[in-house]
Amino acid sequence: MSSEAPLLTVENLRVRFHTPTRIVEAVRGLSFTLGREKLAIVGESGSGKSMTGRAILDLVPWPGEVTADRMEFRGQDMMGLDKHGRRAIRGKRISMVMQDPKFSLNPVMSVGQQIGEAYRVHTKASRAEARERSLSMLEAVQIRDPQRVYDLYPHEVSGGMGQRVMIAMMLIGEPDILIADEPTSALDVTVQAQVLDILERLVSDRGMGLIFISHDLPLVASFCDRVVVMYAGRVMETLDAKALSKGKHPYTQGLLGCLPDLDHPKDRLATLQRDPAWVSGGGA
Amino acid sequence: MSDAITVSGLNVSFGTSHVVKDVGFTVRTGESYGIVGESGSGKSTILRALSGLNRDWSGAITIGGARQQAKRPPAFYRQVQMVFQDPYGSLHPRMTVDATLAEPVAIHALGDVDRRIDRALADVGLDGGFRFRYPHQLSGGQRQRVAIARALILEPSILLLDEPTSALDVSIQAEVLNLLSDLKAARGLTLVLVSHNLAVVGHLCGRVAVMKDGRIVEEASLEAIRSGDIREAYTRDLLAASRRAHGAISAA
Repeated sequence: MSSEAPLLTVENLRVRFHTPTRIVEAVRGLSFTLGREKLAIVGESGSGKSMTGRAILDLVPWPGEVTADRMEFRGQDMMGLDKHGRRAIRGKRISMVMQDPKFSLNPVMSVGQQIGEAYRVHTKASRAEARERSLSMLEAVQIRDPQRVYDLYPHEVSGGMGQRVMIAMMLIGEPDILIADEPTSALDVTVQAQVLDILERLVSDRGMGLIFISHDLPLVASFCDRVVVMYAGRVMETLDAKALSKGKHPYTQGLLGCLPDLDHPKDRLATLQRDPAWVSGGGA
Repeated sequence: MSDAITVSGLNVSFGTSHVVKDVGFTVRTGESYGIVGESGSGKSTILRALSGLNRDWSGAITIGGARQQAKRPPAFYRQVQMVFQDPYGSLHPRMTVDATLAEPVAIHALGDVDRRIDRALADVGLDGGFRFRYPHQLSGGQRQRVAIARALILEPSILLLDEPTSALDVSIQAEVLNLLSDLKAARGLTLVLVSHNLAVVGHLCGRVAVMKDGRIVEEASLEAIRSGDIREAYTRDLLAASRRAHGAISAA
């Protein structure tokens, strides 16, 4: 990725929520670049990692306010775009897989139609074309019997299948960047491996950039290329995934230390000691 | 040591789908017993049958030396309590922590509500300031602590835990797991822990049952699992998945 321009550049991203009593800062000055790689954003709930994904897609709900010194998609400024401009990017160039397929799919529409809808929003395809594309996408995410699954409703599919349906829906527009918000945390280990395989192939075959939002450090260390560790809306450190265990920041070490390990049992798990200075000062 | 729970020939069906197939196991008093398996393998259903939430089962369940029927007497619930997976869904959103904890005391007419609530909150490491809060004013870990306090307020001897940490962050998971091992040590609780995370089960439990498609395919001690002394390919898969995750970190 060194010679190429980055797919996404974000500088000093801030997300604020203006509530009647105070201003809540969800993201405080986040900067990163994304190439054709698998970038992980890790942190606890409330660290602002999901809000970062939403801010990139302009999906921050009211009364949230997004500011950034720079937010560029392939050199194109996104902050200056109006709603229509952002919508043209959202779903077609950058798309997002949400955490829970149970709540993110439309319960009264068959999954195939939903995938087709995502396609028809961005292209002038006919219904028949959209159906063809949907079926081939279902096949691409390794659903064995696409014809049958096409007509199922979300409550009729399992969690793993629902997650694959969401991935199919997000990839039908052939985006350059996929933001995956905890795509596997609701899934079993075995299904998790399948979903990761699919994502892996999409990144390597199509040169897509992937932002993988997760709180699962072991998973991220084995799957991603680079890791951004977030706490309270700030970046604590950015590391090579291979070097995650050598992370210098006490927060990174704290997150690693509190994992139970089958082979090295401990009487008590370490709990995380949070330092208020991390919020104001950033890195160690 | 006597047996706290004995299950044999347990079958559960929902309509035409046979979810739990001829399951049998024994948990000794004061033991921590783990059940692992994929979602849909029937592990939560076993807990629901044990706790009396699901009345449609056949087979034999003996808890605390008494053979259990489908409907349980009130005294049963003072002995066996359950903690659920999702602390966001298992607390009543319109009830304060105080009201949530007072309810089981009132149902069982135990009296002395104030002292019991204070003690239950102290047991799970929450101070009195939490007593008049609503669930939405608590973090996920605090909610799960309240759910555990609600189970403990009746001073049960058996605690059934259905994925108690899978909805929580790893940092909060560590706190809850520490709390559970403290409580177990202090009260001599018998725990049955259901999880899909072998490392979590391994942290608390000495013996583990592995479930697949409604059957217990293998029961092994933690040492046997650790040393790889296991028969079933499926258990190996689970172990490999757990090791792979950790290997990625520790090998670096």
